[in-house]
Amino acid sequence: MTVYLSAQNLSYAYSPGRTVLHDISLSVKAGETLYVLGRNGGGKTTLLSCLAGLLKPGTGSVRINDKNLYNYNGSERAQLIGLIPQMHLPVFAYSVEEMVMMGRTPHLNWMGAPSFEDKRVVEEAMEQVGISELREQPYIEISGGERQLTLIARGLAQQCQVLLMDEPTAHLDLSNQQRVLEIVQQLKLKGLSFIISSHAPNDAFGFADRVLLLNDGWVMDYGSPEDVLTEVMLSSVYGIQAEVVYAHDNGFKVPRAIVSRRPSNVAPESINEPGGFLYKVFEQRLSSPQLLIVTGLSGAGKTTWCSRLAKFAKARGFSVEGVLSPGIFETGKKTGISVESLSTGEAKQLASLRDSENAKLATPRWSFSPEILEWANQTLIQKDSKDLLVIDELGPLEFLQGKGLTAGLDRIDAGQYKVACAVVRSSLLPKALQRWPKAKVIHGSFQ
Amino acid sequence: MLNKIFERKGWKLTFILLLPLIIFIISIMLGRYNIGPFDVIRILFSTGLGEGLPDIPNIAQQLILRIRLPRILAALLVGASFGATGTAFQAIFKNPLVDSNILGVTSGAGFGASLAILLLSEQWQIQVSAFIFGLLAVFLAFLGSRLYKSTPILVLTLMGILIGSLFSSLTALLKYVADPLDALPAITFWLLGSLTGITWDNIGVLGVVTIIGVIFFMMIRWRLNILSLGDSEAKTLGINPTSNKVIIIIAATLMTAAAVSVSGVIGWVGLVIPHAGRLLVGPNHKSLLPVSVCLGAAYMMIIDDIARTLLPGEIPLGVLTGLIGVPILIILMRRNRTGW
Repeated sequence: MTVYLSAQNLSYAYSPGRTVLHDISLSVKAGETLYVLGRNGGGKTTLLSCLAGLLKPGTGSVRINDKNLYNYNGSERAQLIGLIPQMHLPVFAYSVEEMVMMGRTPHLNWMGAPSFEDKRVVEEAMEQVGISELREQPYIEISGGERQLTLIARGLAQQCQVLLMDEPTAHLDLSNQQRVLEIVQQLKLKGLSFIISSHAPNDAFGFADRVLLLNDGWVMDYGSPEDVLTEVMLSSVYGIQAEVVYAHDNGFKVPRAIVSRRPSNVAPESINEPGGFLYKVFEQRLSSPQLLIVTGLSGAGKTTWCSRLAKFAKARGFSVEGVLSPGIFETGKKTGISVESLSTGEAKQLASLRDSENAKLATPRWSFSPEILEWANQTLIQKDSKDLLVIDELGPLEFLQGKGLTAGLDRIDAGQYKVACAVVRSSLLPKALQRWPKAKVIHGSFQ
Repeated sequence: MLNKIFERKGWKLTFILLLPLIIFIISIMLGRYNIGPFDVIRILFSTGLGEGLPDIPNIAQQLILRIRLPRILAALLVGASFGATGTAFQAIFKNPLVDSNILGVTSGAGFGASLAILLLSEQWQIQVSAFIFGLLAVFLAFLGSRLYKSTPILVLTLMGILIGSLFSSLTALLKYVADPLDALPAITFWLLGSLTGITWDNIGVLGVVTIIGVIFFMMIRWRLNILSLGDSEAKTLGINPTSNKVIIIIAATLMTAAAVSVSGVIGWVGLVIPHAGRLLVGPNHKSLLPVSVCLGAAYMMIIDDIARTLLPGEIPLGVLTGLIGVPILIILMRRNRTGW
């Protein structure tokens, strides 16, 4: 099969030091669909812009039909590659037919207006995607799905070989998503190639031949959807706990959908119930380290949950270590954070409400005492192996600034625990899951 | 090419394209000195042949050929110019609220004319000075926009507004120092716009620039559609937005400067006419551009007819275009609610 479009070691920086794409290689053959997946700001749109020739990459090259993309002039390039940008509306109320007709531009000379032959091509393109009856309608008044189809028809009128689509199904309802993707599928069978950036990994199972998974501008993986979209890979890119659901199709087990697992509600008491969630976790600690992430909004009861777990664990005879950081309250208002060693029961004030602008160690609201943090870190450094390690809490200081309870972070990274229970606020959960994809996530709250 | 246009939009387009001719003939008959339509046509057609028309008074012939004809042609050219450049600017700025004055050309020309009125005296000197300062203003706006590396078209617009204000202030300064009995009324009247006293000598440059400019915009009118979609889509469709816009801005500036140097400051035409055109034939520049040119020409001739016939004295054109243009724009905006 002919390779229509390929990129080798592509890098792009919007400004020096702000590299958004690193060393990306890919190729698309005739009649293939490549899905580019990744989080917001991961570099998908920039990649498509480079492939379309809108941006010139800093290093690396894009080749189409074995010739460097930048050796083609504008209209030659436009006859090979079409780009359907993310949805935006033109200022003027062009009709659907006029929008599709604009796809003929690369085939016209510099002062040309479309001829009857161009009109025929446009007619055919609208016919193919089934929007002929909309021809007179203003483009800005039709539905989102119909707009997307109009732009696909424009790509067909352009008679390009590769069509790049930037999030074609964003903002579309389920039936319009299906309608657009089915048309893509049909056109692909006719030999048109597609590169589609998307936030819908599920679509990739149905419509992609290959998937490029981007994370912060780096290629995490590149290959068939089944190979790339694994639970661990999805966790490390999206920071969710993903589960791939399979279906049986003609005797083959094929991945069908990705569902994200939500944190479960678990009562600390279940440590005492044979068959209960925590009971099993403590049994499994003997074969492999068990990491629990306790999450919830501020004030949800994460610390209380952990202290109850520690209490029940001690009652069952398990050894417990680590730190709790309950709030200090004055007349109903949280005015400070204390830190309490679970092995010795000793408690000290860790943080107070921030009043000075130049606190050395601080988050937006709290300024922390470096000495007390040092003390807390000392208690977290492993001395002997206890059954339960509690780390309350790993917050912005730890995940974003690399400060705070770093000893706790290091121990979890190194797997030096039997059962570890780390408290992480909801907003930082994706960060935690990217770091520890296999953790079990629990709502630390009381109903 | 015209046939194709007729097929698509039928009689409406035919009528609009013929409108300037109809208005032209009507305009030339209008005036204090009454000359019958038949005589007007005979006078017009006799010129090329050079034969005398003994039954028509000589003064009537002189009036038609030396005074009304150049003036009405000037109105036609100025209107066509504003129609074409306004349409092109609304497309490339992706903004239905701009016209070719957005980059400061009119303010520059106003300053140039005022300066010439103050320091020089000849009509042609005023024209040349207005033309040069009009170009200079846009050039400065363009230069200024290069200082700032961000969304170029937005910065260019901002610079245009800034440079325009700068020249307006300079003009105000000139008015302040001008002789209140002599130069000040001349400046004020020039700034209000007028086609009084236009002769064949004045419209040579205007004619050449406008005709070449209109032909240029007719040739690239399809591109205006693409450019109005925005830079990245234009690039995707194989068109270099930057170089195209620069050429269009240069062409439009030359045309506007040529028009303003003859007519003085006339606002609103370049803004209102494209809206009227869109309401009649839709936003596709393939038909919109010729329609705007014709509507602009017809509108300007009508405005000038009103200016010279309604009252015993002349009404400044800038006053009329505002008085008539604003209500028209408001009515159009009301009728055309769902986008441009």
